[in-house]
Amino acid sequence: MKKQNMKVKIPQKPSLVPPFVASIFSAIIPGLGQILARAYSRGLIILSSFLTIGGLLAWRIYEQGRRYQDIKTMISKAFQFSPILQIITILFALLYIWIIIDAYFTAKKSNTGSRSYGTGLIFFVLAVFFLLGWQIGDINVGDFFSQADTALPTIGRLMWPWEKAIDRPEEILTISADVLSPCQEEEIPIVEALEDEAYISISPTCGNPTEVDGTPGTEFTIVGGNFNKDVEIEIWWKDPNGNEFRQRQEGEYVKVMPDADGNFQVKIVMPYRIISSTIADENKIWEIQARQLLSVGEAQLSEEFTLAVEKMIETIIIGMMATLFGVVLSIPISFLAAKNLMSENFLTKAIYYIVRTILNVIRSIEPLIWAIIATIVVGLGPFAGIIALTVHSIAALAKMYSEAIEGIDEGPIEAIQATGANWLQTIVYAVIPQIIPPFVSFTIYRWDINIRMSTVIGFVGGGGIGFLLQQWIRLLDYRAAGIAVWFIAITVMILDYASAEIREKYN
Amino acid sequence: MLKINNLTKIYDDGTVALKNVSFTVTDGEFLVIIGLSGSGKSTLLRCINRLIEPTEGKISWNGKDITHIKGEELRCYRREIGMIFQHFNLVRRSSVLKNVMAGRLGYAKTMQSLFGKFSEEDKEKALHVIDRLEIEEQIHKRADELSGGQQQRVGIARALMQDPKMILADEPVASLDPVLAHSILSNLEKLNQEDKMTVICSLHYLDLVQRYATRVIGLREGVIVYEGTKKDIKAMTDTQFKEIYGQEAERVGGGLEGTIA
Repeated sequence: MKKQNMKVKIPQKPSLVPPFVASIFSAIIPGLGQILARAYSRGLIILSSFLTIGGLLAWRIYEQGRRYQDIKTMISKAFQFSPILQIITILFALLYIWIIIDAYFTAKKSNTGSRSYGTGLIFFVLAVFFLLGWQIGDINVGDFFSQADTALPTIGRLMWPWEKAIDRPEEILTISADVLSPCQEEEIPIVEALEDEAYISISPTCGNPTEVDGTPGTEFTIVGGNFNKDVEIEIWWKDPNGNEFRQRQEGEYVKVMPDADGNFQVKIVMPYRIISSTIADENKIWEIQARQLLSVGEAQLSEEFTLAVEKMIETIIIGMMATLFGVVLSIPISFLAAKNLMSENFLTKAIYYIVRTILNVIRSIEPLIWAIIATIVVGLGPFAGIIALTVHSIAALAKMYSEAIEGIDEGPIEAIQATGANWLQTIVYAVIPQIIPPFVSFTIYRWDINIRMSTVIGFVGGGGIGFLLQQWIRLLDYRAAGIAVWFIAITVMILDYASAEIREKYN
Repeated sequence: MLKINNLTKIYDDGTVALKNVSFTVTDGEFLVIIGLSGSGKSTLLRCINRLIEPTEGKISWNGKDITHIKGEELRCYRREIGMIFQHFNLVRRSSVLKNVMAGRLGYAKTMQSLFGKFSEEDKEKALHVIDRLEIEEQIHKRADELSGGQQQRVGIARALMQDPKMILADEPVASLDPVLAHSILSNLEKLNQEDKMTVICSLHYLDLVQRYATRVIGLREGVIVYEGTKKDIKAMTDTQFKEIYGQEAERVGGGLEGTIA
């Protein structure tokens, strides 16, 4: 009777040390006081979070001020570069004090038998942790606004790239007139205005280029007529060396829009130009050109657009082929990875664990990394992408399939076995009919994932539209990149819808 | 004739499901096993067709020890014994016909059966059996579209495809209403009386036991605590009842002739 009584009334074990002493211990090693108060897990959590935060904080201070040998300057410079570190340091000190106070109350409560969960402390630790995360992550919301000016036009091109989707065959209309430099006795006559043909007339017809010291060259007045209206005219030079270059004035290219009759007038200063002396002696004729970029003929889809379409098709094919191979190869493996089928004896259990482990390892490696490995083996191109996605699909599908197999109703299996059916017959008659619906559902889901993945697998050389996208981004051709992004988005949206619809039917 | 000697089943987790169970079933009997849930009825039935491996003891079928047979021999033994279940254990997404044909798997050639090919005789047999159980209208429906009573008839049809000499029925009417329960049990009775099949059936309701059984065995915690004929059940005393169902159990009517204390 007495024994029973003892059993019912287990008093909470009292703290090993009085509250005050617990505080002192926690002041020496944070959390030790709590451990001595028999709040073991609380003490360990406090100790580990204190050490983690302290370690991270020290690392960040060192990172910011590592150029300074002296610790004091290191800390003050770190605080200067990253003011958030000051707040974290203050909070860290507060945490230290809190832990000491907490040790006192934990020891006191251990003696009375009640204990709190320390929710406040946990939230405090989390807050400090995320503040550190803010600092380590180099989060700077201001960047959004300070760099908006340069980023917005680029983003605009990415978001609405369709100007690049259409190409018009172009032709350049070039009308030129000669000038002499320096002036000589023989003069070039001023070109007369023509009736129905484009012309330019320049005056004077000779002059000097801008000097190297900045003394401005001769100012020419160019008058033109009979140009195509509403098309900008660019002014170009052809120097005696035969090199062509555009006229700049105050840093900008000179452009002029002709009036409604196709006439224009513009003044330019002859620019500075190094001319090889032998040529300068023989040939002193320069050419001024007025150019108009004219589109002729029908509009057609641009090269970028057709390339994007081709690569998008390739992308979808990569996803489809990987899914096909993945399904075919993962089905037999999934049976080996299903616990309920493989718990017959020691050997089958061993196979089960080996297969499961291999699948988990393969699955934990991302398809992008598989693609890099595949490109080493088979080289760049869609085949590498197919291999990478197939490997990952096998692992993912085999796991999902085997879980579907594990989730099947045992009843029909028992019933089919009772008829005298053998193992293979039991699988075909009792297992397969039960697993087809989840299998279809998982397969569609995987197909969806594979096509999404195949859009980026090209970034590492796995073929498909990712390859193009990466190239265009590197070439800063954001319009072309935008076309690729649009194709990916459209494809994934259609896919999303289709896969949801199909899976709905099989659930 | 089925002979069971000192059958004991201890599960891996240490649960003793059957303890030294011995009894004999002569051909043509309708043996009913009664007892609470967890008393070992299901384990006993599954030991008979070796869906569960007995730990100790001996089971012999028509003079042959089948306790340890394996492979082809086990399959040939199993196909002589049909089994029906409380939850019917049909493949829910397969058609009635496919479920019924599955009963023939023990006889079929493996390769052909894997592709759903069965001999003409088997197909005719299936149609005959389906006819007999009055489910011919459901033949192409999916099993899960049928009512409980119809599903259990499909279960019986599947068992009949085996040309069984004996039928094991594990609480075949526990999921059905009383009217359907009678209808299913009278199907079994017909098989017992007209086709001379031995039936071993576990049941919960004593009125059903009294109506259909030719002999009764009462199990409690894996031990046989009662054995009696049809007549004996009617005369079952309260003490006997409590021995099977426990001290707290109370008898409620059921048209029994035994004295109620």
